Amino acid sequence: MSTYSLRQRLTRTWYALNRWAVWVWIIGGLVALPILTITVKLWDGPGSIWPHVVDHLLLDYVSNSLLLSVGCIALTFAMGVASAWYVTRYEFVGRKVAEWLLLLPLSIPSYISAYAYAGIFDYGGSVERLGAALGWTIPHLDVMNIYGLVLVLSSSLFPYVYLSTRAAFLYQSQNLRDASRLLGASESAFIRRIALPLARPAIIGGLVLVLMEVLNDYGAAKHYGVPTFTTGIFRAWFSLESLETAVYLAAILVVLVFALLGIERWQRSGISYVSGHGGRRGAWRKPVAGGTRAGLVLAVGLPILLGFILPVLQLLYWAYLTFAEVAKAEFGLIVLQTMLVAGFTALFTTGLAFLLIYFTKWSPLGGTRWISRTATLGYAIPGAVIALGVMVPTLAVDKWLAALFQNQFGISLGLLLNWTAIALVYAYAVRFLAVAYNPLEASTLKVGAHLSESAQLLGNSPWRALWNIEWPLVRTGFWSAAILVFVDVLKELPLTLILKPHGIQTLAVKAYEYASDERIAESALPALLIVLSGVIFALLFNKTIDR
Amino acid sequence: MKNTYLFLFLLFGLWSCGGGSSDSQSGDGAGNTNADQEVTVYTHRHYDTDQQLFDEFEKESGIKVKVVNASADELIQKMIAEGEQSPADVLITVDAGRLVRAKSKGLLQSIESATLDQNIPAHLRDGEKQWFGLTKRARIIAYHPDRVQAEELSTYEALTEDRWKGKVLIRSSGNIYNQSLMASLIANLGEEKAKSWAEGIVANLARAPKGNDRDQVKAIVAGEGDVAIVNTYYIGKLLNSKDSTEVEAGQSIRLFFPNGEDRGSHINVSGIGVAKNAPHRDNAVKLIEFLSGVKAQEIFAKSNYEYPVNPSAQASELLQSWGAFKEDTLPLSKLGELNQQAVILFDQVGWK
Repeated sequence: MSTYSLRQRLTRTWYALNRWAVWVWIIGGLVALPILTITVKLWDGPGSIWPHVVDHLLLDYVSNSLLLSVGCIALTFAMGVASAWYVTRYEFVGRKVAEWLLLLPLSIPSYISAYAYAGIFDYGGSVERLGAALGWTIPHLDVMNIYGLVLVLSSSLFPYVYLSTRAAFLYQSQNLRDASRLLGASESAFIRRIALPLARPAIIGGLVLVLMEVLNDYGAAKHYGVPTFTTGIFRAWFSLESLETAVYLAAILVVLVFALLGIERWQRSGISYVSGHGGRRGAWRKPVAGGTRAGLVLAVGLPILLGFILPVLQLLYWAYLTFAEVAKAEFGLIVLQTMLVAGFTALFTTGLAFLLIYFTKWSPLGGTRWISRTATLGYAIPGAVIALGVMVPTLAVDKWLAALFQNQFGISLGLLLNWTAIALVYAYAVRFLAVAYNPLEASTLKVGAHLSESAQLLGNSPWRALWNIEWPLVRTGFWSAAILVFVDVLKELPLTLILKPHGIQTLAVKAYEYASDERIAESALPALLIVLSGVIFALLFNKTIDR
Repeated sequence: MKNTYLFLFLLFGLWSCGGGSSDSQSGDGAGNTNADQEVTVYTHRHYDTDQQLFDEFEKESGIKVKVVNASADELIQKMIAEGEQSPADVLITVDAGRLVRAKSKGLLQSIESATLDQNIPAHLRDGEKQWFGLTKRARIIAYHPDRVQAEELSTYEALTEDRWKGKVLIRSSGNIYNQSLMASLIANLGEEKAKSWAEGIVANLARAPKGNDRDQVKAIVAGEGDVAIVNTYYIGKLLNSKDSTEVEAGQSIRLFFPNGEDRGSHINVSGIGVAKNAPHRDNAVKLIEFLSGVKAQEIFAKSNYEYPVNPSAQASELLQSWGAFKEDTLPLSKLGELNQQAVILFDQVGWK
């Protein structure tokens, strides 16, 4: 390399700078813009309140967030991987239903889940009431602490791990297991030494989403009285009135997540996760017998019970109490609006992630990979901060456009981006790109590069190769990613509150309106409608997901 | 399948454009009579009765009310970012502190109105008339009558005495109502005494602060503590809950209005201000005047079990049954000015 002159090197870079690289720059740049806007704010310093935060609060934030992260990662790993293993490797009555029930906890916003759990174990709550009805005295169990929070967040977030891990298990070749059997390995040795390591990118992909959700949770931690980084960001921003300190805290959070991701990628570097060619793929299942029954109940039944059935029962009870007061015809319209916004955003965001992944693949420039990475950081940043990062540049464009039209044509234009759903969808895409990117990347990693390379050698354009060869292989991954984004948009709150234009109403906002007035029971009905919308959407794509 | 997506996409496109064009009309204030006959409300309150009042106003005045709901903090951020382009005409918050913050960020403007001067007492509005209280509530001591006699209670300060060790319930310091109470103590007693008050409360806590005001009352009933500092309207909400155990909880406790012998109980308001860049300033003033009228006041206050600020308006029967009380007439703007200091003191004494 050193024998090349600078001129030669520049020429090489120029040729390498094909249109794909340019596209990565454009898409990645657009998505990274709000994040960079926030980063620029770091140069304003940590704010005058920073020493106070360090002296009195930071230790609590760090230790609580750490405990929360470690607890939730361990618990979601156990719940997600075990349940994925059982539904892909065992045949049992109701397996198909269980596969779907295991996804549903994602449809409940975690702060609503937290309220429901508080309601279940409250003084005079459902447990005590049930106990009284049965004539038992049940000791009071306090869930409103950090351990309760770990349980509540884990049982509502484990499907991220389950979903990606299940897809990975489904793709593992049966030949691997046959070979390990022939070599005398036990089932547990096979899981430990072959199945799990092969599924690693998928498991990590799920865990990263869990981690980011956990670090981003505001409502649940606040209600349970657990000070974390994110509650700290809001305290600094709104109570201590220091945006600088809030941004600084958010930046620390992002750097931590970035570092974790870096470590994971560095450790994984050089290892290919393309599974063996040929052989039977997909599910090879055996009947459940004997001891595995207990395992089945524990691995599949318990997560469904904790993550979905219990909170939904509580919500149903509340909705029943408040139905007459809360139910209105306008809910039909709100459901429709929410589905439209979420559906459009899901397709848009997943499409963006898909293009980013492939354009990066087709572009030989090393730097493009980092742009894609930066673009997925939005998930680690609290929604309200993202909203701010989106408003600064979009308002600048809006004001520029308004001035331009005023001067040139004498037309007074409103805020074109910020008074329509454009800024909102843009912000969602920034926030949720990682939700689509991570599982999608995991599923594209499984497709060997040689497939599209051969196709291109045979004279196909990258697009044709992608459409004919790779798309059928990653389609499942694409739709699961889209569903995740859809459900996330359904639940999203702070960003929606700030950026939603007048006239657009979402279910999460409706639920929040009641909850913020401490009318928790009244928020149950819109919350249940969120769950229902998620279920309907999931069922709609049932076929595509299930191949 | 593909056609479905295409359809969804088109539908969304149409709908967002539709929303956009109708919204952008509010931008061109001048010359358009339709746009003149509207007022955009940024509000933290979301009661169904609020909407009924807005409908009523629309009928009386012919001015269309457009409502944008979010929490006050977010609405303020939104107004800052939108700047001169902001469509907001008025900002409604559920505490005085946020109105003071909006004022200090230059988001509000002064309003001269004889009607408002007459309807709203001086200590419940901004000195420069940039914001006005609409409903008020007191932060009081709830207690269990079996375990505590009313005679044992006197002031907020007295709750730091040793005999209340392990018996005091209150929510976390992140809550604005606690911050405002603390700000009132700083204003009335000075920083030193306010800080030692917070220390004393932390030392007497029955449990780590968590949950909302309702949860504190339920914890009294369950015996986890004997006294709780809560807002009056939460008692009203408990008593009118659809959940029978909440109603029982509300019925089993009693209210005590502290500091009746000296400065009076701490009060806070939900209030309203006209946005600095309001495209429809006159309509905004009309709306505020309407909301300060006796009839609107009674409805507005009743929806959240609050007291009307207009002295001519009647409080609801429930509130009247709690009896009259002496209120702290500290100018509410102090609550906002001292908010940050209050939070810092909370952090220093380790009030989570």
